[in-house]
Amino acid sequence: MSAVTRSLSLPIQGMTCASCVAHVEGALKEVPGASKIVVNLGNNKATLTYDPAQATLADVIRAVDEVGYAVAKAELTLQVNGMTCASCVAHVEGALTELDGVTGAVVNLGLGTARVTYVPGVVSASAMRRAVRDAGYEAQERDEGADALDRERQAREDEIKRQGRNLLIAGTIGLIVMTGTFYDMLGPFKAVVPVWLSYKWVIGLLTTPIVFGPGRQFFTNSWRGLKHGVADMNLLYATGIGAAYGIAVINTLFPKAGFGGEGATFFESAALLATFIILGRWLEALTRGRTSEAIRKLMKLQPKVARVIRAGQEEEIPADELEIGDLIMVRPGESIPVDGVVREGYSAVDEAMLTGESLPVEKKTGDAVIGGTLNKTGAFKFAATRVGKDTALAQIIHLVENAQASKAPIQKLADWVAGHFILGVHMLAVAVFVFWFFAGYPAFFNPNSSFILSPYKLGAIGVFGFSLLLSVTVLVISCPCAVGLATPSAMMAGTGKAAEYGVLFKGAEAIENASHLKTIVFDKTGTLTKGEPSVTDLVALDEGRTTSDAGLDEPLSFVISPSSLLRLAAITEKNSEHPLGEAIVRAAQAKGLILADAESFNSIPGHGVAARVDGRAVLLGTRKLMREQNVDFAPLLSRAEGLEADGKTVMFVAVDGQPTGLIAVADTLKEHSAEAIGHLHRLGLEVVMITGDNRRTAEAIARQVGIDRVLAEVLPQDKAEEVKKLQGLGRKVAMVGDGVNDAPALAQSDVGMAIGSGTDVAKETGHVILIKDDLRDVVVALEVARATMNKVKQNLFWAFVYNTLGIPLAAGLLYPFVALIISPELAGLLMAVSSVTVTLNTLLLKGFKPSVRREDQPRRGAGEPSAQLAAASSAGGD
Amino acid sequence: MEHDDMERDIARRSALIYLPIATGAGLLFLLAASVFGNYPLVAKIGGTVWVGLLSLIVSMPLVTARVKKQIGRS
Repeated sequence: MSAVTRSLSLPIQGMTCASCVAHVEGALKEVPGASKIVVNLGNNKATLTYDPAQATLADVIRAVDEVGYAVAKAELTLQVNGMTCASCVAHVEGALTELDGVTGAVVNLGLGTARVTYVPGVVSASAMRRAVRDAGYEAQERDEGADALDRERQAREDEIKRQGRNLLIAGTIGLIVMTGTFYDMLGPFKAVVPVWLSYKWVIGLLTTPIVFGPGRQFFTNSWRGLKHGVADMNLLYATGIGAAYGIAVINTLFPKAGFGGEGATFFESAALLATFIILGRWLEALTRGRTSEAIRKLMKLQPKVARVIRAGQEEEIPADELEIGDLIMVRPGESIPVDGVVREGYSAVDEAMLTGESLPVEKKTGDAVIGGTLNKTGAFKFAATRVGKDTALAQIIHLVENAQASKAPIQKLADWVAGHFILGVHMLAVAVFVFWFFAGYPAFFNPNSSFILSPYKLGAIGVFGFSLLLSVTVLVISCPCAVGLATPSAMMAGTGKAAEYGVLFKGAEAIENASHLKTIVFDKTGTLTKGEPSVTDLVALDEGRTTSDAGLDEPLSFVISPSSLLRLAAITEKNSEHPLGEAIVRAAQAKGLILADAESFNSIPGHGVAARVDGRAVLLGTRKLMREQNVDFAPLLSRAEGLEADGKTVMFVAVDGQPTGLIAVADTLKEHSAEAIGHLHRLGLEVVMITGDNRRTAEAIARQVGIDRVLAEVLPQDKAEEVKKLQGLGRKVAMVGDGVNDAPALAQSDVGMAIGSGTDVAKETGHVILIKDDLRDVVVALEVARATMNKVKQNLFWAFVYNTLGIPLAAGLLYPFVALIISPELAGLLMAVSSVTVTLNTLLLKGFKPSVRREDQPRRGAGEPSAQLAAASSAGGD
Repeated sequence: MEHDDMERDIARRSALIYLPIATGAGLLFLLAASVFGNYPLVAKIGGTVWVGLLSLIVSMPLVTARVKKQIGRS
């Protein structure tokens, strides 16, 4: 046992009684080296002392988890400045996860954030900030809401300005350096360029301010990192620029020193290398923020002021000062400040910016309105029901932010590779130098050789200068800067694009999983179907003949017509609270039938109802009821059986003891179910329906909607098990269902999609939340996920192709055959192009439109929030 | 203050490890350049410095991170 022990006070969740205390204490006693264990039910805390040499905090947390309780965790988001590449991501994550009490850290390079999961009381925010600072970066706790928006925008604009200024200085001087370097090749332009510009010492003097001005950032950043044991890509640049400049200075001041003399003064390499890297940084800063523009646009939807009615007077107050219950006035063209319920007035509201619904939604007294949406036509007053962080808009922003800050498995791999890349590249640079010094130069050097895309001859460059040149070029061309941006930029664009259509991904992993789906399981009731029965068929009997009215609008041609049958049945059921009875009443009301009160009403539990209507005895119920009442339904039995075979529930109607007709009721499909299933089939997915209904009913619905596989008679608690069985076949399975009732199955699936949640997104389970009750959004989710992952793969290709092709070339692989090498400045330009290619490729997602939404009319009206979001919430801004 | 002292301690202990590693790598290069081939002195010195510098860059973060972890544990 070591001399040093640590004390802990852990918040424990799930303890309800003394036996829980005993369980937790027992679990903690099992942890090697744990002592002084006290578990307090009153404050839900466990204090203990443990020996870090024998166990870690993770062991302690695991011990508590294993007995069915949990150590409470909290989350904190830090804004981290100074990260430039994927290796920075690994360093910041490493610095945070090394802290005792931090159980996880996810860094998003694109957003410049670190989301930390930690045990409160064990580690503080200041310790986290210090850890990040020690790793060589700046960190502060992230603000939320509009302040964060303003601060982030300001920081991004500052960075663009700073790098723009650097670029202007380096670019202008670099151009002069180039002119001077290639003076001999200027031809007729020599007349306008002073000859002294070609003097080495002048070129050196011009290069110096570039290296120590705009280029200084690479040296200071890499030194800051090195001091703390961190090697990032600034180091590659600093080594490259420093080596080129240092050798050039030596060769200029001491041409006989043996480093290649005046023929090897690579001032232009140092100057242009710095310029191109800064160009890359500037373009990156310019485009990086655009991929996260969706959040900013969402935040912009939040109105700043609200017109509240207090003491009968209208007054304008800041929207964040509104309280629940406040009565708020909204006029045409104004945005709704918070969520609420309409109390007075009538209007149409454009909710497209939050739900993706393309048509304005009518609002009347009693209807809910969503903060951030746009009132179109009328004026109305509404009472606030949710304000501040609880509004739908705030919840959606939070969800999208979390998704953007999360990390897909593919990104974890890319970050790991990039994180270990820098040191590997430096080792490679040593190997390249040693090879060319001892073997390559003596065997292959050709004095007539030159740089690719340059007339500049290497001439009398010595063995050291030549080997150094190749070694430096390897360092520069290996920078994994684009690798760090490839995945997060596409994920940010994808989650933003999905949010535009009312599809909220809870994490990057959900996007990656959704792109690999093979099977999609739909819950039936409430997902594929409306979840409430409605009348589908009316069959009336007259003098031995029948007439049916499936559409409920056939003209009356018999004494007991379908409409009359429906009217009689509806009056009979008017006082019933049975769902089937309510369906009949709804159908009659939908037809505009006038429903008088029954003269008498008698419920026959489990069988049906009896009533007196228009002086006639009406009996409505099951076949068994009719048999018991000796009503002979023989003429209609075959028809009844046919309807039942289609999965419908048939009710028998008798008037004055005579068989009169049949009413079939069934749960009907939602409007777009069949269309959505058709699209999913076209995407190559196997579509499965899962339901607790009997097989006959289930198969009838499946036939209508086009589903080929049915899992019927599955109890709600067994749905998760069925999903597991499908996963056992090696398939990635999505489950689409109600976020509350199907929670276990949604959690079990690889991608759980909670549909029709409305805007109360915080309560929903599942990995994807579909705000609208429209199954076509499942298609939207899958298509956006596939498009996003395609973008990720393309980006990774572009990020790695420069490195994989560039490194062998930079190392001189082709030199023995072609006598050409890549200059350090060309390597720098290639790396800048690599970053920009990746970001621009991501921005192409902006134009993506899911197949099910292509027929939607484009929205008009500059300045409308919907148009603004549509333009931005995808890949980028406007 | 305590934190700064710890940082200094880490830096000092790390330097005691990575400086000899880098110097050793540089000297190894010098030895090889002296034994194999007839290189100009400047090339030998330049190569020694460059190999030493790259070795320093490789070993410095590795050693510092390891020392930091060790000190953190104790």
